[in-house]
Amino acid sequence: MRAPPRLPAGLLLLLAPLFAGAAAQAQVRAVDLYAPRPFGYTIGDTIELSAEIALDAPFRLDPASLPRPRALSYWLDLRDVRLDDRGVADGVQRYTLHLAYQTFYAPLEPKRLDLPALPLTAADGGRRIELSVPSWSFLMSPLREIVASAGGTTMALRPDMAPPRIATAGTLRHLGVALIGALLALLLLAWHLGWGPLGRRRTRPFARAARAVTAELAPSTSSPPAYGRALVALHRAFDATAGAGVFAEDLPGFFAAHPAFAPVEGEVRRLFAASRRLFFGEDPAAAARELAPEDVLALARRLRAVERGSA
Amino acid sequence: MRTERLLLLALLLLLVASLGAAGWFGLRLVQDRLANADIAALASGRDIPVDADARPALLLARLSFLATRDRFEEAQPLVNRIMATGDTPIVATALYDLANARLRAALSHLEINEIDPAVPLVRLAKEGYRRALGLDPGLWDAKYNLDIAMRLVRDFPQIETSGEDLPPEAAKRLWTDLPGVPQGLP
Repeated sequence: MRAPPRLPAGLLLLLAPLFAGAAAQAQVRAVDLYAPRPFGYTIGDTIELSAEIALDAPFRLDPASLPRPRALSYWLDLRDVRLDDRGVADGVQRYTLHLAYQTFYAPLEPKRLDLPALPLTAADGGRRIELSVPSWSFLMSPLREIVASAGGTTMALRPDMAPPRIATAGTLRHLGVALIGALLALLLLAWHLGWGPLGRRRTRPFARAARAVTAELAPSTSSPPAYGRALVALHRAFDATAGAGVFAEDLPGFFAAHPAFAPVEGEVRRLFAASRRLFFGEDPAAAARELAPEDVLALARRLRAVERGSA
Repeated sequence: MRTERLLLLALLLLLVASLGAAGWFGLRLVQDRLANADIAALASGRDIPVDADARPALLLARLSFLATRDRFEEAQPLVNRIMATGDTPIVATALYDLANARLRAALSHLEINEIDPAVPLVRLAKEGYRRALGLDPGLWDAKYNLDIAMRLVRDFPQIETSGEDLPPEAAKRLWTDLPGVPQGLP
């Protein structure tokens, strides 16, 4: 855009009154009102209008000149005013002004009413121009007849709205979900720790071994053969964990593959030594000296704990 | 066995979290049920004191109880408390119910030609309906009753002419409530 030629300040002052009107016209390109249907409104209805405002570019709407939401008259409220700045294009600054009114007029017959024009101000830093969103008229309709025709009285009020109950369905559903979650967590935990019947899982050989050892070494049934069976149960668990038979000379490989068992390495070596005495040396007394039945029991429980990660 | 340990921790966390949630929702359910029992009792006509910080629905039930018994001085603070909760549907219902009660009281005053006490009641009822409609413009019952309240002002002169001995200053005070022109007249 070409800048307007500068005039001497004095001349401008002289000419200002002459040009003021024309200048304002030139700087306000358009104010277009977009309105809903102009009829069929009843008391308490809201009416939403929007106005497209186009100004010459340096001019901007003065936000302070926008009306504030308030009661405009005894029957008309301005509920909401929202200005969308749609930016400058081709030297034209565009705005969309959204207006929401609410009418509380109680007509006896269809009646035409006016939404008043809204004055706005635009400025480009120094100069100020006035523009206005045009007024708009609409028809309001009555809600009730003037004289009751169907027997009833015109003064019969609509009934009260009953106080609502607090909705509990959502809370109940959430409670159900939480309880199911807790049950699921408990089941998974039982599975993971090998509680109860879930202790017989194939992937928990030491849990099974611990049950077997506990059963074999119970004080009432304890005997040399039972001690042997307890050791065998533990060896089966080692075999199942390693996926192959584990002998004393395989232990370094076993601990390398399963580092979690490292803390119990000393006891495990004693277990294998005891087994060697019992099964190959045929010397139960020496075996029991190497690893007493209570120690076997304790070792079985420690191995189970290591296996399920709770050691 | 590192993953085993992580799994154990995750499961314990899940258990604790879901038990906590279950406890919280259970507590809320019990509170809701108790509040609903109070609401039902108030609706059936038993007066139950309600805490200032009670649920909006419970406050509304008490408001409704007071309003239907014309105890407006006790009901008005409840409206303010309900409005402070910001629960829009409940606030609109509260404003509507209180306005209804006031309008009903005004109508019963008018039936026996007591115009003086009726005027402020009608004015407050109108105000209530307007605020309810401001919150929810789709409240048709509020529109209808506001229309009645609006025309009631115009109905006063008819009662005055048909009534017996009305002090002239009562009629004068009645008209001071009109904002310039009779509302709704063409």
